[in-house]
Amino acid sequence: MTPEVQRLERLAERLRSVEPFVPPPGAKIRGWNLVLAAVEQSTTARSRVHPIRRLVLATVAAAVLLAAGAIAASADSLPDSLFYPLKGVVENARGVLTFGASDQLAYHLDLARTRLTEAQAMFARHRVDLADQALSALDDQLNEAALVIQAQKRSDPPVGAAMENRLRQAIATHDAQLAGLQGQVTNPTALDAIKQARDRAAQAIETAAKPVTSDDKGNASASASPKGNGPGNGSANSPHPTPTH
Amino acid sequence: MRSFGKAASDDDRPLIERVRKGDQDAVRALYERYFDRIYNYAYARLGRAEDAEDLAIDTMTRSLTRLDLFQDQGVAFSSWVYRIAHNATIDHYRRYGKVSLVSLEHAPALVSADPSELAVEQLSNQDLHAAIRDLTDEQQQVLILRFFQDLTAAQVASIMGKTVGAVQALQHRALGSLERALQGRAVN
Repeated sequence: MTPEVQRLERLAERLRSVEPFVPPPGAKIRGWNLVLAAVEQSTTARSRVHPIRRLVLATVAAAVLLAAGAIAASADSLPDSLFYPLKGVVENARGVLTFGASDQLAYHLDLARTRLTEAQAMFARHRVDLADQALSALDDQLNEAALVIQAQKRSDPPVGAAMENRLRQAIATHDAQLAGLQGQVTNPTALDAIKQARDRAAQAIETAAKPVTSDDKGNASASASPKGNGPGNGSANSPHPTPTH
Repeated sequence: MRSFGKAASDDDRPLIERVRKGDQDAVRALYERYFDRIYNYAYARLGRAEDAEDLAIDTMTRSLTRLDLFQDQGVAFSSWVYRIAHNATIDHYRRYGKVSLVSLEHAPALVSADPSELAVEQLSNQDLHAAIRDLTDEQQQVLILRFFQDLTAAQVASIMGKTVGAVQALQHRALGSLERALQGRAVN
């Protein structure tokens, strides 16, 4: 061991022998009282915050679950269901988020197909009034689709023509289904409603095929733009969810 | 001979869990285990009983009310408490500056028969404390924790965020600096 290390070792030993500073009893008691008060305060603050936070979280979670459940339930709801108005809200939201003529056409054709399915279900349940409304909404969707095509033909005729073909095919499919339905029902009101629906579908084809004049241009583009008026906006007297563009 | 009750290396985890569940007895047990140590540490660093008391209370309050910030990830609770005490000391220095309260005017001669050798046996505790407070922050910390608090090099390393080897080297340098500081005081 070198002399330096020996010296430092002695110094270290001397340091170890130093008596510790002991706090006066009063200081320790004062300290405990202050620490205890602070601990109790922080515990109280935590227990005050926690139930409120838990309640808020539970409420938000319940609301989210409820909304998600209602939306899921409304997706396949029919016009005689309590959830049906919510279906219209969801469809409108989809419409607002649909951009581009091709996507708008697909959107209207999809809704037209949905309305036709609803009409068939309502006929099966002998709810001719609701079936009639569904068919009316179907025609509104086809008309909206025709207006979208008209606007597209003005800006891009080849694409507009292709879209017109898609509309024709969709209407042909619908017409075949409506013809089948016509053979199944006997109620005169129902038969009349189906006949009117087929006629209006044919008119939609004419609208889409109509050459665009300078007067039509403004109307077509105005009608083809999103309105966002909520359920039933496709027809003034139809309560069905028929969002338009 | 110092006596701080249970060693700082004792496992505090069961007590911490109980404190987290609101057990007041566990709070008291941790307070009893650490208050004297922190008071002693603070007194050695600051040199005034009033300041040491304030700092010890502040450290214990922060330690026991902010347990949610303490995560047992390899760092012992004792290390965490000492780190809080160290940070509080730095804050104190920033606010009030470093003061040397102990004068050596009346101190006896600190030299032995060999003028180059320090007569450590004759050094008073006050001399030692005053000389320690003249060292750098890290040197003070390592000497106080190793020799006044009886902590191992590994425990000091955990508190200071250094390796054991670095702590040992720092301790050697700190003792050398202390020796020179004491010699300088003796000459003056």
